[in-house]
Amino acid sequence: MSDGYSLVFEAPVDYAKGLAFQRRLLAARQADLIPDTVLLMQHTPTVTLGNRGRDHYLLKSESEYAAMGIELFQVERGGDVTFHGPGQWVLYPILYLGGREADAHGYLFNLEEVAIRALHQFGVEGFRREGKSGAWTAMGKLAAIGFRLKRWVTFHGMSFNVENSLRGFETIVPCGLEGEPVTTLQKLLGNECPSMGQVGETMLDVFEDVMGRQLERFRAGDGLPDCSRVQAPPVD
Amino acid sequence: MSVPQDFFYSKSHEWVSLSEGVVTVGITDFAQSQLSDLTFVELPAVGASFAAGDEAAVVESVKAAADVYAPVAGEVIEVNEVLEDAPETINADAFGAGWLFKLKVVDEAEVDGLMDADSYEEICPQQ
Repeated sequence: MSDGYSLVFEAPVDYAKGLAFQRRLLAARQADLIPDTVLLMQHTPTVTLGNRGRDHYLLKSESEYAAMGIELFQVERGGDVTFHGPGQWVLYPILYLGGREADAHGYLFNLEEVAIRALHQFGVEGFRREGKSGAWTAMGKLAAIGFRLKRWVTFHGMSFNVENSLRGFETIVPCGLEGEPVTTLQKLLGNECPSMGQVGETMLDVFEDVMGRQLERFRAGDGLPDCSRVQAPPVD
Repeated sequence: MSVPQDFFYSKSHEWVSLSEGVVTVGITDFAQSQLSDLTFVELPAVGASFAAGDEAAVVESVKAAADVYAPVAGEVIEVNEVLEDAPETINADAFGAGWLFKLKVVDEAEVDGLMDADSYEEICPQQ
């Protein structure tokens, strides 16, 4: 018996399409049409600003971003500016937090815990830093968090750098933290770096433990799936 | 986690205190604890009218943003301006100094339709 679904997209998803899909699932979760559902995807190159995102942390002009093939979005999540691109997993849990199953630690702590335990599985020490959210390593920040609650259902979530280029991060002040390096699992592990698929599976395994939910796992083909299966799940 | 007995509660974790046709609305201690240290509050405009369940305010911590809903229908007659400079007041005193806004209620019977403290505690996580 599962407590929810996960849906993994192997090919990078256009940010706007991914966000539209999250919003559909958010509405469906609020209406109790679907159980808690976790999306795991990569995006095509995108810079996003959160609710309080300050645009002086964007170091390029709009036309320069366009010339670099990076899309720009202002979104409703908490948190400041960040970069998404191929080789980076983003985890978008659509979870109802307002009920009995909510965890006393709080959702932010739990997302950080997912990243830290996933890093541990690959032999990397990850840690929290006082006053700076996300997951950090000896070489810099590896996971960044920003989320929104609507009717106590979460959307947006956490990015986790695996083998992405860091060039996109050079065009911003990530999370508004000046002088703080960003790193990837690839930079930390070199040739020992696991594949995107392995890292994704590990993130979902760890998510199940930390969040106390068993996920029935689905995969999307290229692009967005026909999500009717997700919205009208088979009855056990 | 304390839940004052003389307030009413919504499923989306707002509290309501009714006095002479006006409700004071805030978020519960459970809600503030799930959001951690608040850094910004977006309050409604005085004079704005809401139906029950409408989005009325947004509270934000460094990494999270959450909507706050009007628990009953009414017109905003006052907002807690202290929160604009000191949103952390909500973390310190969610049921008191951290109130968000006051509504002139359209129908007081709507308040009776909210949960009492015992029912609200039933839906909160056991700790």
